[in-house]
Formats: sequence, structure tokens, C-alpha cells
Amino acid sequence: MFFYYLDLAWRSIKKTPLMSLLMVLAISIGIGITITTLNVYQLMSENPAGERSDKLVAVQLWSQGKDAWKEFNNQLTYQDAYNLRKSDVPVRQTAMFITGLALQTEDPDFVPLLESVRVTDSDFFDMFSVPFIYGKAWDKGVDTEALYQVVINEVLNKQLFSGEDSIGKTLYLDSKPYQIVGVTKTWSPSPLYFDVTTGAFKDSAQIFVPFSLAPIEEFQSWGNNQSWKRESINNYSQRLNSEMHWIQFWAEVQDDKQRDEYAQWLKRYVEQQQLIGRFDSPEAAAQLSNVAQWLELNEVVPEDNKILVGLSALFLVVCLVNMLGLLLAKFLKRAPEIGVRRAIGASRAQIFSQHMVEVGLIGFGGGVLGLVWAWVSLSLLSSRFDLEQSLTHLDTSMWLIAPVIAIFAALVAGTYPALRICSTNPSVHLKSQ
Amino acid sequence: MLSMKNISKVFKTDLVETHALRDFNLEVAEGEFVAVTGPSGSGKTTFLNIAGLLEGFTQGDYFLDGVNISNMSDNKSAAIRNEKIGFIFQGFNLIPDLNLAENVEVPLRYRGFNAKERKRRVQKALEQVGLAARMKHLPSQLSGGQQQRVAIARALAGEPRFLLADEPTGNLDSMMARQVMELLEDINKAGTTIIMVTHDAELARRAQRNIQIVDGQVCDFTMYQSGEGHQGGERASEKPHLVTESHVSLNQDKVAS
Amino acid sequence: MLQIKPILSTLMRNKSGPILLLIQIILSVAIVANASFIISERIALMDRDSGTAEDQVFNFRLYTFDTNIDLESQIQRDIRAIRDLPGVIDASTTSMVPLSGGGWSSGYTVGSSEETAKDTEGAAIYYGDEHIVNSLGVELIEGRNFYEEEILTGSPDLATHGIVSKAFAKETWGDEPAIGQIMYAGDFGEMPIKIIGVVDKLQGAWVNSSYLDNSVILNIQLVNVFTKVLVRAEVGTLAQLKEAIPATLHKDNRNRVIEGFTLISEHRKRVYRNHELMATVLSMMVVLLLLITSLGLAGMVMFNIERRTKQIGTRRALGAKKRDIISFFLVENYIICLVGGVIGGFVAVLLGQQLMSLYSLPQLDLIYPLMTVAGLIVLTTIAVILPARKAARISPAIATRSV
Repeated sequence: MFFYYLDLAWRSIKKTPLMSLLMVLAISIGIGITITTLNVYQLMSENPAGERSDKLVAVQLWSQGKDAWKEFNNQLTYQDAYNLRKSDVPVRQTAMFITGLALQTEDPDFVPLLESVRVTDSDFFDMFSVPFIYGKAWDKGVDTEALYQVVINEVLNKQLFSGEDSIGKTLYLDSKPYQIVGVTKTWSPSPLYFDVTTGAFKDSAQIFVPFSLAPIEEFQSWGNNQSWKRESINNYSQRLNSEMHWIQFWAEVQDDKQRDEYAQWLKRYVEQQQLIGRFDSPEAAAQLSNVAQWLELNEVVPEDNKILVGLSALFLVVCLVNMLGLLLAKFLKRAPEIGVRRAIGASRAQIFSQHMVEVGLIGFGGGVLGLVWAWVSLSLLSSRFDLEQSLTHLDTSMWLIAPVIAIFAALVAGTYPALRICSTNPSVHLKSQ
Repeated sequence: MLSMKNISKVFKTDLVETHALRDFNLEVAEGEFVAVTGPSGSGKTTFLNIAGLLEGFTQGDYFLDGVNISNMSDNKSAAIRNEKIGFIFQGFNLIPDLNLAENVEVPLRYRGFNAKERKRRVQKALEQVGLAARMKHLPSQLSGGQQQRVAIARALAGEPRFLLADEPTGNLDSMMARQVMELLEDINKAGTTIIMVTHDAELARRAQRNIQIVDGQVCDFTMYQSGEGHQGGERASEKPHLVTESHVSLNQDKVAS
Repeated sequence: MLQIKPILSTLMRNKSGPILLLIQIILSVAIVANASFIISERIALMDRDSGTAEDQVFNFRLYTFDTNIDLESQIQRDIRAIRDLPGVIDASTTSMVPLSGGGWSSGYTVGSSEETAKDTEGAAIYYGDEHIVNSLGVELIEGRNFYEEEILTGSPDLATHGIVSKAFAKETWGDEPAIGQIMYAGDFGEMPIKIIGVVDKLQGAWVNSSYLDNSVILNIQLVNVFTKVLVRAEVGTLAQLKEAIPATLHKDNRNRVIEGFTLISEHRKRVYRNHELMATVLSMMVVLLLLITSLGLAGMVMFNIERRTKQIGTRRALGAKKRDIISFFLVENYIICLVGGVIGGFVAVLLGQQLMSLYSLPQLDLIYPLMTVAGLIVLTTIAVILPARKAARISPAIATRSV
């Protein structure tokens, strides 16, 4: 019977091409707009940590003084990060920040490149599930006893060593030789959740060096540096001992129990610091956020985007109301034919199904066309505004979501007209010619 | 075959109550050909709609082929219409977008026959009305008489026990009307019960039995043996009306001019 | 002449069609009003002037990784070399670049005694030499520029002289003259800075900050392996300077990376990108919404005309002029538009309040729903007249035809 309805629906659509086009257009534009905004929303609100989301926690400390900031800063001071690294409660932990270094190779003709470099601990790679092609992270010992070792990514490896296994080779950062210990696969979670301080939708760094080198090499911070205290910072050791917040800190816990344990440990740390005269605000405390909470806390999805999703949903409603009106008009015009079908023995359910199939078909058409609109508008927007590709590719889930929303929406809009037509008294239309 | 006992049908609007049928009684035996006549607004169409299960009724009992129709669900009555009843309308009521075969096929679709069976029956029904050759034509390409024959084929395709015809020749010229009438008589001879509403006395006379409806009641019925003339249509005696306004004509009861 | 009563009763009798139209208009008004409000808000944001010569001024990053040199004299040599290049108007080192999204900012302490001391609003801090005012292309309206001998090199803590933006001066000292005032980079009395000049307008780096127009220029030439350089050059010379500057500087010393040449006008584009994106998407929405609403309306009118063909014919037979038929449909439309507009206006305000409470949006200005309704009336008039003209052409003879 379904195919019979499909056949009837197709005939009916062909019979009133202009009206059908209008309906498909209405719903497709609604879907197009909704999918466009939903796509960006979805890509922004994705939790790239997946099932590890609950195990990874960002650490924040209310270390500022009494009248300073009224919220947790999302970075730590160097001294706190340094102390926290000594905790043995979490399974893994890492302090990190981003810097920039001049990259050179042993080739004297190589023009130096200024590369952004993540300064971090060996646990970073396991914590954030960074896949390796060659080698692995530097040894844990390097986190305390600094060595000039480096991990680079696939792209850079290709550029510098034409993709060969480069373990053991040397590259120069700020004229210092570093030994390559690992090459990662191209890996760039979006959003870049573990460091949202300078924008959550950037690519990951291509080079990683040990955090233990920071005090030796005096790496500059390329991220946010925020101070609440007026103190003079004229050299690196002043910076390391200052109250400036510029280090990100993440820990990995096994389960909720360990998380609680870690929270207790941090609480004691805060109390201990208070004893030596730091953390003098009454609100001094530590805060742990898992990845989902962290993304929420940092408003990784901008307000604008939420407004757009809301408005486009309303827009879709307008399109549906529009379609509802047109469907009602179209169906009621067909009342005499339906009268005949009813007289001949079609049940209400059959008439209803016939119309719902037609509506669904229109919805499907609208969904497919809507996907095309969404694709067009996303590519237009991304080329016009030079947006990150990670935000504007049409997510594969949309291939399913768009037609499903479209068909569902069309069916919702079609229900009233279909009910109207199948509940009219057939005898009324049989006589009137 | 068909048995109506004390059927009443009341239409209510905000202002008036109209009795379309009052204490309507009728028995039709299997294989009969009954003609129903009556003046405009008498309740003919209401009777036909009730008989054809297109409308419910207010009071009384209606048995069709031994089945009690009162308070039947919409689904069941649709199924009975589909299996047991064939409709023929004054305006043919073919579906203009479907070709002849597809039009005839409609009831078979709802019956759930497979493609092979549908094809066989469509072929047979269209042969019966002499239009098998034009199977692929659209209704608009046919004359009125031909269209009505297609409508009859559609009614026959489901092999109903019972055919309801509402002014089947009303839109046809006399020659075509005669053809259609002959076709109906053939069908009746083959065993199908037919009830035909008409206001053409001459046509009515060709039926086995004539019923006149006046003011929503069966007024007079006479057996015609062999085309012997009788002018029916005397107005029934004035019975006390239960409710006023029994003369209000129903809007769907307009007679085409 | 206008038969409002019969139109009203027609509307009341066929409820579903007009109700649908009404809902559509209500929602359209609510959406369009709020969207256009947000659009105009964003356009106003983007129209703010940075105060600089945006098409002339560009910056680049200079990273020196040679540790065996005297960085201070190297940087001074570099800047002089750049100033001598053809097309360059002026150049200076800087701590930040207007509208670039990254830089320095701080509040200061002002007051006449420790007790009355208070913090100023935050301000963007430009550290530079006597050339920075000209390099930015900002207009000095009071006081004077730095003298060459006042420029100190090295640490930001050394600053002694300041030039402030008019907005900052007004916010900090009100109507008092800013020239000659003292503000402290530390607590009261620590690291005093004397205000010697006021520029008309100079924005900071963060366009979403509440103190965008507050800027302070201090007399420090920063010495750092990372140096930001501001260059003001003739329009159109950037492409050629992009080649010439690295060539010149590399000739002096090869051990550095020179990159990131960006005009302030490009920074502006990038920093306002999200606002422009929002405005664009919303404009798209508004246009499409109006299009869909009017197409839907035209479709409904068309359907109504078909359904009422006979009635229209009868009216014509009874003496209605073509104009009367068109005005019948128009009046019908206006009734729906006005009712929809009034309710839509309320819904728009409600939606606006909702958005305001959830997000950082200001209160919806009532002019927007009004404008939207006005626009809808114009648009729907067109959407109605086109099909209604067809209705007016219906022959009165239709009325006498029965089938």
C-alpha cells in the first residue's frame, strides 16, 4: 500500500508543481537555516574527550587576594602548578602552556620558522589520547630531570624529514638541539578543550617539549597572562615566583572516588598555602571540572550561536505554519476525490496515510534540498569569513538529521490538514459537481 | 438483503432541526432492482447515503446482508462499502488524474488484492462495460456516457452484492442514458441487487419496484410487473409533524438543473 | 466603501486559513524585529572608529633568537632602518596593536592621598617611543608628544610619562584637565606617571571589552626577543614592504623570524568577524523569512480566489468593480496584518526579554516591531495584489454558470 500512496503522492505533487515547489522551498529553507546553525552548534558543542570526559579534570585555584577577581581563573600560577605536579593522587597529570620558538634543522639553508610549541609533561599524550606513529613520549624521568627532547607531529615530520622515522634525529629550537623521541599522528581535537584560553577552535601545536625545561630555557608564554596583584615582573624567575596566572593544569582520575580524594588533597593544599600567607581570600578554594563541565564553564559555544539556533528553530516553525496553510488549501481542494475514495471503501486511516505519505515525501524533498542550502550557506560563510574548517564542514550526522527533522516537521505540519481531509463527510462531496 | 426499520435522521443546526428521514422502513430482497423517486428535498439522498454507509442515522435499525449496521465503526463500514457495495454517481466522480484502469483499480487497492488479481478484475470489469480497449485513457478523453460506464466498471470490479446508483443518467442525453440503463439491467440480471435514485419517472418504471420518498418517509410502493404504467408521486397525507420546519431542504440535496 | 464587516465575517467563518496566516505573521514579526535589532546593534558595534589610520598602519612580529647580540641596539637599528624604507611614513615598537585581540591592559591608581586613592577603569597600554603617536595615525588634541630624550628602554615598570585617550581622561578626571595629572602604575605613590598629552581617540585590542576606548601610551621602548613593530606607510605599499622589511633586517642579522604582516583594517575584519557573521546570518534569515511569508500569503490568496471564484463572479454580476474585488482581498490582508502585528509586537517584546535574560543583549527597541509591521504591510500588499488582480478579471458570467 505504501508504494501506492507514494505513487499517488508523486502524481499529486506533479499535478500542482508550483504549490509543491513552494512547499518544498519553504521547508527546505527552514531546514537549511536550521541545519546551518545546528551544524556549527554541534561542532562547537562536541565533547572531543568522548568517554574519557569524566576522567579528565581541569584544576582551578582561587589563589587571588581579597578584592581581586570574583571567579576562578582558568589558569594557575607557576608555583601552584609546580606544587600540584608533586601530588601522587591522580593517575596522570600535566601542567602546560603554549610558547613560540624558532625552528631550524641541521640544513643551513633552512629558513627559520616561528612555530607555536606546547610546553607540557609526559603524561599529556596518554591523558589526551594522542596517537603516535613513531616512538613515544619522553620518559617520566624527564619531567623532573630536564632533557632536550621533543615530540613533533606527522605534518612537521613530513615537512622536515619527508615522513621517515625521525626518532633520534635532531632539530633546533631557538638554536638549541633537541632530540626527537616521538612523532604523533595528525591530531587536533575540536574544540581544543584542554586549552581554551586563546580560542577553542585552533589547531593543536605541532611541537611538544618538556615542561621541566621552562625554568631553564625561559620559554615565553604565548597564551593569556593574568595578574591580580601589582608586582614587578622583569625577569623569568620573578615570573615563576609571581602570582600571575598563565599555566593550564589537568589531572586524570580513575573514578569518582579518586576524584573526591584529589579534591580533598587540593583542599589541604589550599589550607597549607594559607598558612604560609597566600590564598588570603575567604573564598579560597580549589575547583575540579571534567571536560563537559569545562566546556560549559568556558562558554565554548558562544551565545550568538545559541541565539541563532533558537531563532532558526522559530524560523522553521514559520516555514511549517506556512506549509500547513498551503497543505490545508491543497488537501481541501481535493475533497471531492477523497469523497469518492471514501465511498469506494477507503477507511479514514487509509486516507490519512495517503496524505501523510505525500506530506512526508514533500518533507523528504525539503530535507534534501535543505541539506544543499546548508552546504551552500556554510561554504559561502566559511569562504566569506575565512572560518576554521573544523567549524564549517557539514557534519556527517547532518545527512541523517536533516531529512529526519524535515520529514518529522512536515508530518507535524501535515497532521492537521490530513485529519481535516479524512474526517470530512464523504457524502457532502459526492453530489456537488 | 437490506432491511431498514424505523430509521430516523435529524440534522441539527443552531436554528432548526430538520428531519431528513422519519420512521423510514424498507426491505429489499436479494436480486431486486429498486427505483427510488421523490421530490427535491424529500430525503432521497439521505436515504442513499445511509444505505451506502456514508452517513450514520439518528434512530432505528439497519441490517445489510444480515449485518447490523447501527453504530458501526468507520473502519468496518469502510470495509463493507469496499466489499459489498458499489456506488454510481450522477457526476460519475471519476478521479481525473487516474486513467481508466487506475480508476477501476482504486477499490481493489483498498481491498488489498495483489497486482495480478487487480489486473484480472480491472480487465474483466472494463470488458463488461465495453471499454477495455481504452484502459490507458484519462476520463477527460471520454464522453459522459463512457465515463459513466467506467464508473460502473469501478463499482463492479469489487464484485459487490449491492449497487447504489444516484441519478446515474442525470448528466447524460437520452441515448446514452438508455445504454447505461441497459447495462444496469444486465448487471441486475446477473444477480446484483440495485437501488437507484432517480427523478426520471420513465426510468423508474423500468425497475422491478418503485419507492417514493416524501418528507422523509416511504410513501408508496408498487410492484411493477411488466412496465405497466403508474403515476406515482401523490403527496402523502398530512401527518402531524413532530417538529416544525420539515420542509427545509438540505443543501446537499440540490437537484442539478 | 470598505466592506470591513463582510470581510470580517468571511474571516471568522473560514477560521483555519486566517489563523495560520496570523500565526505566521506573529512569529515573523517577533523574529524579524529581534533579528533586525541584533543586526543594527552589531553594525553599530562594527562602525566604531579605532582612531587610527587603519588602511596605512600595519604591524609585524619580530622574533630574534640570536643570544650573542645587544638586543636593545639591534632593535633600535632595526626601527631606524624601517623608517628609512621608501613608502614608510613612520615606525615604532609597540606592546600591542589596536583591534588585534591581544595585548596589555591594566587599571591605575589615582587620587590625591592614600585614603582617597582609587582604581581607574582598565585601559589598554601602548608602550612606545616618540614615534608611536604618528605611527598609529592618532590625533593629539591636547598637550604634547614625548620628547626623544624621555624615551626609556627595557622594562615596562620604568614608565614616567603618559599620553591618554580622551575617553580615558574623561572617565578618570571628568572635566578637570588631564594634562599634568599623575597616575600610579602600582599602589598610591608607586611608579608615578605624568600625563602630558591627550589623543582624540585610540581603541585597545579587545572589541568586546567595556573599556575599548580607554587607552594609555607610555614612554617605553620594550626590549624583548619578541617585538611587535608598528609601521605606518603609504596605502598600497604593504605588499612591497612585506618583502623589503625582512630583506633589510635579515641583511643586518639573519637569526630572526619576521612574520605576521597585518593591516589594522585586516585586524578589524578578523576581530569583528563573529559580529559580522552574526549580522550576515541574521540578515539572511530576515530576507528569507519575509520571502517565505509573502510567498505563503500569495499562495493562500491564490487558493482563496479559486475557492471563491463563483462568489467573486456573483459580486461582479451584482455590480462590484474590479477595484472593489482587489480591495476586498487587501482589506482582508490588512486586518490579518494589523492583528498579527499587534500580537507579534507583544511576542517580539517577550522574545526580546527572554533573549535579554538569557544572553547579554540589550532591551529590544520598540521601533523594530513597528518597522517590521510596516515592512510586512508593504510586502504583503504586493503579495496580495498580484494574485488579486487575477481575481478581478473573473468574468461575472461565472455566476450564472451552475456547474
